[in-house]
Amino acid sequence: MRITGLETLLFGLDDVAGAARYLTDYGLEPARVSETGGRFEAIDGTAVVIAHQGDPRLPAPPAPGCRLRKTVMGVAEASVLDAIEAELRRDREVKRLPDGSIESVDDSGFAIGFQVSIRKPFSLAGEISNAPGGSVFRPVNHLGAIGPDAAVRPRSLSHIVYFVPDVLKAEAFYVNRLGFRCTDRFANVGPFLQPGGSLDHHSHFLIGAPPFMHGVEHFTFHFGGPTAMMTNGYRFIDKGYQAFWGPGRHILGSNWFWYFNSPFACHMEMDADMDLHDASWTPRVVDLKADNSQTFLLKFRKKWMPGPGIPENGDYA
Amino acid sequence: MRAVPLCPVDAIAEGAARGFDPDDDGQDTLFAVRTDGVVRVWRDACPHAGAAMALRKDGYLNAAGTRIVCHAHGAEFLPESGHCVQGPCLGRRLKPVASDVNAAGQLCVLIP
Repeated sequence: MRITGLETLLFGLDDVAGAARYLTDYGLEPARVSETGGRFEAIDGTAVVIAHQGDPRLPAPPAPGCRLRKTVMGVAEASVLDAIEAELRRDREVKRLPDGSIESVDDSGFAIGFQVSIRKPFSLAGEISNAPGGSVFRPVNHLGAIGPDAAVRPRSLSHIVYFVPDVLKAEAFYVNRLGFRCTDRFANVGPFLQPGGSLDHHSHFLIGAPPFMHGVEHFTFHFGGPTAMMTNGYRFIDKGYQAFWGPGRHILGSNWFWYFNSPFACHMEMDADMDLHDASWTPRVVDLKADNSQTFLLKFRKKWMPGPGIPENGDYA
Repeated sequence: MRAVPLCPVDAIAEGAARGFDPDDDGQDTLFAVRTDGVVRVWRDACPHAGAAMALRKDGYLNAAGTRIVCHAHGAEFLPESGHCVQGPCLGRRLKPVASDVNAAGQLCVLIP
């Protein structure tokens, strides 16, 4: 099952215009947007799609209060769609949609879709640090800081985190039925899962949670590096948005993170520089606690510099 | 009891919310909502995880202005009582902040 990763997340909500503004301010590119909804794309064409929560075309959410209505994953080729359809038809309905994709539901009630991947290949250097002794450097006279007028754009839909009422059942579905691998695990919480056609540390993270939490904790797009991610997060706060956690760097997956409140009844993260793993990787199992979650944690500050008139204790007063 | 003025009470329209940072913490820690003509002030801290609740500056309500929403995990609260009616803190309540309107028409929070 060469599932290549997430392609599209579909949300239904009450304030389509507010969500459209939010996604545009986050850096996604509006495509085919109207008053009733639209599609907001990263550089590679992966996207968030929004619609009004009353739109009858939306699949049902897994639980009341969850605004995620469908998670669409990509596959390498059409034969994989056929294989997934045959596998899932053993015990559930699978729809063929007019666009050639298939739609079903996972063992936690989340609507899932699969399509031959529409990810557009692109070539755009990521962040390169000029490290003494290193072998890869920025070209001479190329600048590391992102100028105030330079746009920052998310590159690719990264991962989604589900709250599920039965985490063992949820994991078994993705591993046994769809060929995902567990790359790492928080003990007594849940697994990080990687689909068979991707090297990213995870496309899914499952958290066992009480039924009233059933839904989404967060989702995120990859940015070009920590500088791009933090520049974008800083600008997002300047636009008035509310940070929740970060910036910091996770340990499992190594991704830089910054989480924000969102109109999607979950957080929306910005991430960068996630580890890549293959089948030779041995999953770690760690206890869930702050020290195991992040290598360091920082917090937004208004810009400041030393000089005349500074407080007696400096910036850390 | 010390009364700390936040803003002219008339600046908060029916069905609207506004956040305040009276202690200069660098982000809003209280918010006020006007419902059925009554302005109530709440701590900007979701009973679920204590998280700041706004989507963006002053963004504490749903599209219709009928529910207070925590934009961390989508918890919804009744603006009249602060009770959570949907989400991870179902049945729990926002922490109210005592407030008053002074002779100059300023909405004030009362700090012990």
